[in-house]
Amino acid sequence: MTGLLILLLFLVAGNLLQSQLDSPVPGSIIGMLLLLVFLMIRGRAPESLSQISKTLSPLLPLFIIPVSVGIVTQKELLAENGIALLVIMAVSIVPGAIVCAAIMKFRRKRDAE
Amino acid sequence: MLNELLHMPLFWAMLTIAAFTVGQHIYRLLGNTAFLPPILTGIILVSVVLEVTGISFDTYMDGGQYLHLMLGPVVVMLAVPLYQFIHVMKKEWLRISLAISLGSGTTVAVAVAMAHFWIGNDPITVTMSTKSVTTPVAVTVSEQLGGVGALASAFVIITGVFGALMIPPLLKSVKLDDPKAMGLTLGVCAHAIGTSRAIELGNQQAAYSAMAMTLTATLHAVLLPLVM
Repeated sequence: MTGLLILLLFLVAGNLLQSQLDSPVPGSIIGMLLLLVFLMIRGRAPESLSQISKTLSPLLPLFIIPVSVGIVTQKELLAENGIALLVIMAVSIVPGAIVCAAIMKFRRKRDAE
Repeated sequence: MLNELLHMPLFWAMLTIAAFTVGQHIYRLLGNTAFLPPILTGIILVSVVLEVTGISFDTYMDGGQYLHLMLGPVVVMLAVPLYQFIHVMKKEWLRISLAISLGSGTTVAVAVAMAHFWIGNDPITVTMSTKSVTTPVAVTVSEQLGGVGALASAFVIITGVFGALMIPPLLKSVKLDDPKAMGLTLGVCAHAIGTSRAIELGNQQAAYSAMAMTLTATLHAVLLPLVM
């Protein structure tokens, strides 16, 4: 339970900071960054946190299903733009993938020399 | 009685868990194929039930919100793998940072530009910007930016399926397919679904993909609200 409490503590802190600073970055992201800083200062992850992470990670997709089902409210938009959206998503992967892999490979070649 | 059941919040929470479980079984049955992740099956099943019963999304969400509530803690939890990866990437931090920021920046810029000039609908364009971010972060950021959470989730999942399909043959065809490049690219462009594809390819691919996915999500979650 300590692990979950840590997560909620940082989430609440993140949300509070977000509203106080009127930040465009979501509270949960601020909470995550705060937790990251905490872990870096501490030097290792508490056992309870690793434990809750192992428990919750496989369930992650489950927690996203409800909001995703909201797609049923977007039928008109999808009927109108569905094909265009699919093409955009397929096409936009290609340049990004090549840039990404080229940078990784470029350095590797130089390392080998 | 049926009507009562269909308006019971707990029923919809239960149905969502059931749909996800069915999705997991189908996924395993098909040999963990990246093309039908359990989340996709779950969404389709719940959506079909809503369509058939004529129950509104709002009524569904009376029950769905209990699961949705966990999204916040789960996003905070991403700090744990992120912390481990920061350790791993120390050696090659410059090339990894460049590959992740420029690679993900390119794919998002192309998608946003195409959506802007082709469709020209602002909520869609804004939502498109979160397409390369892992779903829990995409939904959160997209709603913050004035996009549509449900669309963000759909874009992310479809991008992930396309990426898992396209990236391995694409990188092979341009001879950029060494394990680190392949893993990193799958994580940057196809997030969690790409990572499940990377797991099939090997350990190094899997590790680089998981790291890239987490770093991309963090980078975009912080930058997109400031840029868009």
